[in-house]
Formats: sequence, structure tokens, C-alpha cells
Amino acid sequence: MAGKAFLIQFAGSAAFVAVLAAVAALARISKPRSALTQERARALLADEFPGREMEAVWVSDDGCGAVARAGAQALILTEIGDGYVARDIPWDGALAARPNKGIVQFDLADIAAPRARLAFAVWPPGDTH
Amino acid sequence: MLHSSFDPVALAVPFFILTIFLEIVLARIGLIKATYEGRDTVASLAMGLGRGLPGLVLNGAIFAASVWVYQHRVFTVPFAALWGWVVIFFLEDLTYYGFHRFSHERRFWWASHVNHHTSQHYNLSTALRQTWTGGIAGTWLLWLPLTWLGFSPAQVAIQQGISLVYQFWIHTEAIGRMPAWFEAIFNTPSHHRVHHARNPRYLDRNYAGILIIWDKMFGTFQPELDEEAPRYGIVKNLGSFNILRVAFHEWISIGKDLLTARSPRDVAGYLFGPPGWSPDGSRQTSEDLRADWVASQVPATDHKG
Ligand SMILES: [Zn+2]
Ligand SMILES: [Zn+2]
Repeated sequence: MAGKAFLIQFAGSAAFVAVLAAVAALARISKPRSALTQERARALLADEFPGREMEAVWVSDDGCGAVARAGAQALILTEIGDGYVARDIPWDGALAARPNKGIVQFDLADIAAPRARLAFAVWPPGDTH
Repeated sequence: MLHSSFDPVALAVPFFILTIFLEIVLARIGLIKATYEGRDTVASLAMGLGRGLPGLVLNGAIFAASVWVYQHRVFTVPFAALWGWVVIFFLEDLTYYGFHRFSHERRFWWASHVNHHTSQHYNLSTALRQTWTGGIAGTWLLWLPLTWLGFSPAQVAIQQGISLVYQFWIHTEAIGRMPAWFEAIFNTPSHHRVHHARNPRYLDRNYAGILIIWDKMFGTFQPELDEEAPRYGIVKNLGSFNILRVAFHEWISIGKDLLTARSPRDVAGYLFGPPGWSPDGSRQTSEDLRADWVASQVPATDHKG
């Protein structure tokens, strides 16, 4: 029966997927990760938003993300796995976010990356021009 | 011959699994270059595994359409004829080039193809990150002219499978460059790394399936440059490893945009404009990003310091 054969094949493949994923995770061969510095955050944001002038960059307390101000826009960078995701949102919106237990949640308004949670004990920063 | 029991992709699955395992182990002991991240790998493999599910619903209809077209064919290419395989090799690969270019340049088809590009990694598991919505997007229509010309649905399906299997091995950082003659004719790991890169200068280049010659003929070829390492993923990377988000995010974005459309022009632009199109030009297409990048290169020296 075709249906049964398909199910057996599917279950077998699913088992292999589970094993391979476990091997991939246990191998510990992800990209090397280190806490962001001002310079690194700037460089990553410059790759994401070529040509955008950044007036200031604030790296999150845990070094997992950063917020930059570029005119009326906030450029937001956050870790995902061993990579990063970035979006720009209106600066006023970023400024209106408030920390809750040391975490500021920025609404990115995008189904592909709905929000960024960055560790900032204090937000907005004092020196926002 | 309408239906073939010979399925190159199904036959290759054990080979896929074994080589992914080898790539991980060889990278672990430092023999080759490869990076894997657990959740990223799960997402890629799960997309590959789930690829068959939408097919259960649609494959029957797609097959019926191809049989109908075959009944109205203009020639008959004998399945056993060697010349037929040579001809379909080139024609199918040209069709693939067209399909692939279309899938990057028009948002409706990009919504289906985008998930192949959502990984920030480039390893053999990335090759299996296949679309779930190609059937709905209707890209299979592009292969019907081959059937109309006289290649049986089975022969077209086999050649498509051969192309898909060929494209598996090029998803790796373990191979730098192939011999020059090979790089000149065939799609290679180096050429396809460029295709998966989100660096502005690499965007929308190297659409090849098996042969890179089409990109060279139609002006979309970009060699990998030693001074510019590819950064993988999409222009706006995903903030999630959830496979439902991987599979459907762009479709949902299109739906949201359509709700805000104010004119037929907006509707057409959101559906069939280039990815990144917006009525007021506030978003960026690949061409906009490339232009920004080119402009930012000129005064680059002023920014250091
Ligand atoms: Zn592509
Ligand atoms: Zn690919």
C-alpha cells in the first residue's frame, strides 16, 4: 500500500533527521561567538545597513545585541543562534520601550522577526542627544 | 512512459544523510571547513523532510496537467534515445535557470523560494532546506513546455531529480575551487556560495542549476572574490528557527501588504514587483541595496578613524 510505504519512509527519515540534528549540535562546530563590542556592533550594522550614518551605538549589557541611532531610525541588532538579525524601526518607537527585569523588548513589526529582546538595565540611555 | 519508478532524489537520500554526517564529523576533527548550529540544522532538515507533504495534495493535479499537455505534444522524444537525454539535459537546465531567476526577481515566487535562502549557514544540510509552497506558486508550469515538445512527464521528472541531486553537493564551504575548466562550465560550491550570500555585490547572481554557462550568457554571473567572504542568509534575516515561520513568513508579509494596498498598482507591485518593492520606495530592493553599497564604497576612507 502506497500510503503505508510513505509513512514508513517518512518515519525513517524523521528518525535520521533527529540523529543528524543531535550530531550537529553535539559536534559544537557553530560559528565562534563572543560578546559584542562597540566596534563589532558598528561593523555588523554597517554590513546590514550600508551607507547609514550612525550617531551612537549602545551595546546591550550582555553583549548579545545593540541599538544604534541613525537619524529618525533605530537600527536594532540581536543574536539568533550563532548569527545575528537586524531591523530598523522608528527611533521614537525604540525610545518608548522600557526595561522589564533588565530586558527591553523592541517591537520590530515584522512577521519574519517579530521582536528583539535586549538586556538593558537602563533604557532609554541618558545620552540620546 | 508517463510515470517512472526511478526517482533520483529518493535514491540519493541515504547519500545525503551519510555525507551530512561526514561533513559534521570531518569539520569536528578539523579536516574541513564547515559550521553547523543545532537549531539551524533541525530547521533545514525538517524543511527537507516536510517537502513531500504538500506534494501529497498537489502532485496528483500537477501530474495530471503534465499528462494532458503530453497528450497534446508536437513531437515524440523516445525515452530510450540518448540524444533525447542530451537535449533535455540542456533544456531542463535552461528552464531551471529561468525558474530560479524568476523566483528571485518577482516577490510572488520569491515567497516560495525564499526559505531555501533563510539559513545563515552554508553546509550540506542547507541544500535540503527546500520549499513547501512551490506547487501553490505554480512554478511547475515552467516545465510544461518540455512536455509539450515531446519529452514524457517521467523523463522531465527524472531530469529535474538529477538536477536537484547535482545541486546537493555544491552546498558546502569544504570545497574551495574546483579545477578552472570545471568552474568555467559547471555550477560549483564557489559559484553557489555567491548565490546564497547577502553581501550587496553578490545579491541576485548565479542562478545556475547544473551549468553556470547560462549566468554568463545572460549577464547574471558573479565570481566569488577572495577579498569578499560571503555572508549567508537573506537581506532581512529570520529572527526564528520555527519551520512554519521559515515556510510561510513571506506569504504572510505579502498578505499584510495587500491589506494596505490603495490601488491596483499597489496590488501588482506587492505581488509581482521585485522583493523589497513598496509604493513609496521606502523599502529596499536588491538593486537599491547594491546602489547604496556602491555609494558607500566611495567615501569609505573618510569613515575610518
Ligand atoms: Zn535561489
Ligand atoms: Zn542553494
